[in-house]
Amino acid sequence: MNVLKKLEYNFKKYKNNNAFCINDINYTYNQLFIKVSQIRDIIQKNIPDQEQICGLFDYNDIETYATIIALWFEGKSYIPVSVSSPIERNSYIFESTSINFLFSSHSEENYIENFSVLSSNINSNELIKFKPYIIDESNLLYTIFTSGSTGLPKGVPIDLKNLNSLFSAMKFDERHDIYPTDKCLQMFDLTFDYSIVTFLYPLLNGACVYTLPKDQIKYMYIYKLINIYQLNYLIMVPSIINYLKPYFGEMNFKTVRYSCFGAAPLPLNLVEEWKKCVPNAKIYNSYGPTENTVTSTYYDFNDYQNQISKNGIVAIGKPLKGIKTIILDTNNKIVKNGVEGELCVSGNQVTVGYLNNTKKNKSSFIMYDYEGFNLKFYKTGDLCIKKDDETLIFIGRKDFQIKIGGYRVELGEIEHHSKNFLKNNNISVIDIINKNNETELALIIANEEFDTKKLINYLKTKLPSYMIPTKIKFVKELLYNSNGKIDNNKLKSLF
Amino acid sequence: MDTEQTINQLTKIFTQVLERDSIELNLNTTANDIDGWDSITHMMIINEVENELNIKFKLLDLMNLENISDLVTLIHSEQKN
Repeated sequence: MNVLKKLEYNFKKYKNNNAFCINDINYTYNQLFIKVSQIRDIIQKNIPDQEQICGLFDYNDIETYATIIALWFEGKSYIPVSVSSPIERNSYIFESTSINFLFSSHSEENYIENFSVLSSNINSNELIKFKPYIIDESNLLYTIFTSGSTGLPKGVPIDLKNLNSLFSAMKFDERHDIYPTDKCLQMFDLTFDYSIVTFLYPLLNGACVYTLPKDQIKYMYIYKLINIYQLNYLIMVPSIINYLKPYFGEMNFKTVRYSCFGAAPLPLNLVEEWKKCVPNAKIYNSYGPTENTVTSTYYDFNDYQNQISKNGIVAIGKPLKGIKTIILDTNNKIVKNGVEGELCVSGNQVTVGYLNNTKKNKSSFIMYDYEGFNLKFYKTGDLCIKKDDETLIFIGRKDFQIKIGGYRVELGEIEHHSKNFLKNNNISVIDIINKNNETELALIIANEEFDTKKLINYLKTKLPSYMIPTKIKFVKELLYNSNGKIDNNKLKSLF
Repeated sequence: MDTEQTINQLTKIFTQVLERDSIELNLNTTANDIDGWDSITHMMIINEVENELNIKFKLLDLMNLENISDLVTLIHSEQKN
């Protein structure tokens, strides 16, 4: 499948279908196509050919989605940044990729001094005609920045070949099919790569995408969308149904036919309760690092006889077609099935490598002889077990990366900025589980107590809001284990 | 129960859940006015209100809360039931 050709084809084939429903307003494929054409016109008139990458502010509106598609049709790619993220972090992302042009559906006064900000907000309904573009498979489509343990976020570029491979593999597995009559949930911020599947896969199938406003509580708005619009195709992070759990008794969503989870471990007891709320739905779990283009594996939860889970966490399942998986021990040797090790993935979905980060590229990607081929594998850092039937079970992380609301968070990045501000190395950031069974960040400081308002305000200028610790504790000294390393398990017991 | 009494109870719950020394609530207070009152702590606050006042909200009713005044009205209507 060629994603861009399919999109262009669908704009005509489904022109009267709704493509998006945003803030209760419907937009047809034709209306979207017109917006795309107008933004292409802006790109052609303003951005020189050699400027391949543009920044994009992640607003929830039709202009922002149209900008993504317009950039693609013009052979360019986007880097999404959060409108609520600190200016310093966003500017670092733009500068580290030598970006000059930013697109926004709003005015970005904080950025106009250093960048050319183009508005995607046009008041016209006129279609501008273009010749079709021929775009090479090696063309970048987007770059997602994820948390980096050394204090700076790192960019993962994804090209047309990567995306074509993902959607071809999804299309091959008909269990994930979307029909032109489907109403699909898109709950992810555009800075989160799962958004690619939740907005693009419906568009590749003539269906309608239902998005979430920025200022609403996500789980409540999702509940409202399912209720009012009778959504039937859901992809969510598990925390959404964890929040909704106290109200499961009120829920009987008969219209939902597909309910998939991803981006964080899925608790078995939670999904078993959820099953009763969506009696007609097929339920899936999914898994995938950004470096292997959104989704790598799916687990079919519907075979109740042979359910696979470990430590109360549902298995992540089998790889999509075209993806090879191996489990390596610490000496980079393949372990036997059933033995825990680091999951490594190979195939056409693997990124070309982190942007301008030779060191990280050396440690994260390895060439490996597998089934007679010398293949490039991405080392996920996720500890897994592979069963004889290829089903993968997620055990945990081998490093200090955790997930907050599905976002990847390197505890080291928060510690780095905290140490810088406090000029104190005796601190530790840990993840704790709160009363609602959600992960929270706690900062432990070995010091006399002091007012931490300034520290938190400083962190807010460096980190996105989901990375700001919500609990702070002062201790006489950090607790160490017998190897002299900070014992985070002991620190966790303080909460 | 009168409005002032309910606001006092809410103030107690808010200070406890948000782990703060003092919080001032009035009928016009919204989530924007209180540091730390976000989508995560919101559910914790709501759960605590349900437990403390021995009531159970419906999710559809919770969606229309704009400020403390709406929450007080909702609490009173649940207490009548």
